[in-house]
Amino acid sequence: MIDPFVPGVPLVPAEIPDKVRSGNSYFLDCGDGITAFYVDVKFNIDLHMYQNNKTNDFVGLYYNLTEGETTLSGTDYKHDIGRWQYNLYVIDSTLKSNYYVKTGSKTFLLCIFIKKNTLESFAKKNNINFKNINQITDPKKNTIIRFDRMSSESYHILTDLRKLTVGGPVFDLHLTATVHLLLSNYLRKIAGNRIIIQTVNEHDLASIIAIQKFLIDNIEGHFPTIKLMARNANMSESKFKNLFKKITGTTPNAFFMDNKLLSAKDLLEERKLTISQVSDQLNFTNNSYFASKFKEQFGLSPKVFINQL
Amino acid sequence: MQKFTHFYSLTPEWQFQLAKEMGGELIDNKIIVIPENLGHGHSYFTQITPGISALFMDFVLKTPIKMNRLKSENELYIFHFDFSNEPSLLKINDIDYKIGSSINLGLAVISNAIESSFKPPINERIIALRILVDKKLLNEFIKNHPTEEYSTRKIKIVKQEPYYYDNIDSNSLLLIQSLKSKSVFESSFDPYLKGISLKLLGNFLNRYSESITVKNEISPVEIEAINKTKTYLLDHLYNPFPSVQFLSQMAGMSPSKYKMLFKKEFHNTPNNLFIKEKMLLANRLLQSGDYNTLTEIIYDLNYTKLSYFCSKYYELFHRKPSEDFKKKHPSKKTRTVMM
Repeated sequence: MIDPFVPGVPLVPAEIPDKVRSGNSYFLDCGDGITAFYVDVKFNIDLHMYQNNKTNDFVGLYYNLTEGETTLSGTDYKHDIGRWQYNLYVIDSTLKSNYYVKTGSKTFLLCIFIKKNTLESFAKKNNINFKNINQITDPKKNTIIRFDRMSSESYHILTDLRKLTVGGPVFDLHLTATVHLLLSNYLRKIAGNRIIIQTVNEHDLASIIAIQKFLIDNIEGHFPTIKLMARNANMSESKFKNLFKKITGTTPNAFFMDNKLLSAKDLLEERKLTISQVSDQLNFTNNSYFASKFKEQFGLSPKVFINQL
Repeated sequence: MQKFTHFYSLTPEWQFQLAKEMGGELIDNKIIVIPENLGHGHSYFTQITPGISALFMDFVLKTPIKMNRLKSENELYIFHFDFSNEPSLLKINDIDYKIGSSINLGLAVISNAIESSFKPPINERIIALRILVDKKLLNEFIKNHPTEEYSTRKIKIVKQEPYYYDNIDSNSLLLIQSLKSKSVFESSFDPYLKGISLKLLGNFLNRYSESITVKNEISPVEIEAINKTKTYLLDHLYNPFPSVQFLSQMAGMSPSKYKMLFKKEFHNTPNNLFIKEKMLLANRLLQSGDYNTLTEIIYDLNYTKLSYFCSKYYELFHRKPSEDFKKKHPSKKTRTVMM
């Protein structure tokens, strides 16, 4: 039984020996009552972590991109979490929770702890009314607990952070930056009144996520038809399209293209392949189509992009 | 042309005076809305951490304006990222620099101890981000940086010259680009801008730390020798390129070693660096209004073929020299710039 997630006490996680997990974890005070906890580790044994916070004045936003089996449970809930499950959850510090990880799980997790009064003043300052704030609080118990999926944009902000070496003042800058960007994204989500995922039928949600995974796994290929995906998800085409849009915020095609272009960007950044090789590898019809799509997405052409890397 | 004078501070106070002078509305101590008679758009100022603030500008002007920035008491570095399609004029120490993504030089670092003025073009969307960083804080970053040797060098760059200019790296370009689509009136803009600004600063520091590993392999004596040859090149911009043979002798090393170290130190070959500096000089000469023909300028710069010069110039600025050329005129004051 370990109690690792207490903001302001950076020593606790560091004491976990390598036998249990290997990798990095990092605490940073971002100012304004916000603390960030960055974890990028591989678990070497099955582990049960019990979180019981010593203070109850903060809220934790957990961006969890674990690949492996991980479950989070509390008194009246139990959810699988990770990259292809619920990957964003918001939990009040008053709540106790149990976190189970299986051996071999690779956890990439960024926790943002915000003092409740900071969150409130933040919301007030930014004219978010409390009708919306209530969306993330549980009206019955007046505690905040939500399970959700992060937006594609947030996901890519996190993977960008993951590329950097941990530690040092420059990393601190990037980490603080990431926290701000994620908060901005989350606020936009609240302000935009977007659907809260927990209201979607659990089974449908799993199907849609499975299709997302399918698209990511086949990012190099052509776009599979809506018909095929709808059949895989066991839904009618129109239901599939609607639900996909509700959950991810974009259409299947836009989701596919965004991710394709982002992987193109990553490939170009590695500087191993030429522009036309990248375009071929990702199955774009021709170079000029690739270039025009790239420019549409990022605002600069692939050529300019590699020139100024 | 309307002129405005302002200064910068890390806290929002500086905006009062500027907003009043311009006749613009100041919202929430953050947003200055550009008044109708000047154009439309706004600027957005926010304090990120005690030592870092950001000013985001996004506007289109109807009439030309000039923003004079006075030097101020607090010690700041100003990181100016320009992402407009048309270049703006940035005047530092009475020299005009063009800045904007289209001419490849989108980043300028200026100390606030030096006055500068900013003259954006009209009828073009101007997108620029200025990050103000406390000098002490930046020095702290550099000091805490894993290798100190690099750090001493970095500070020197900033100290030696009143400004420092460069192109914006691709990832930073993407970040600024993403700001374009956001509305400053949305609640999520504030943290977004903060995040982007910190990332840009992080990228800037990272970019210069990439050379760190290399730095350790070069002895200070060698760095000094390489720097000496660079100074020589910069002092002899009016001459033809002196040959690597000559430069390597000056540095006291073999040509191959010299070329390798030079590249590591300045991320460019001696000749390309020389040409780049020459073109920047040419740009200043073109706009100086001291010449009657282009040929005079290229002879001064020791080029014999106009076409060669033009092609090199185009490579750097993506414009023909003739577009920047201001002919000698009896009264130098009347500048009619066709943009």
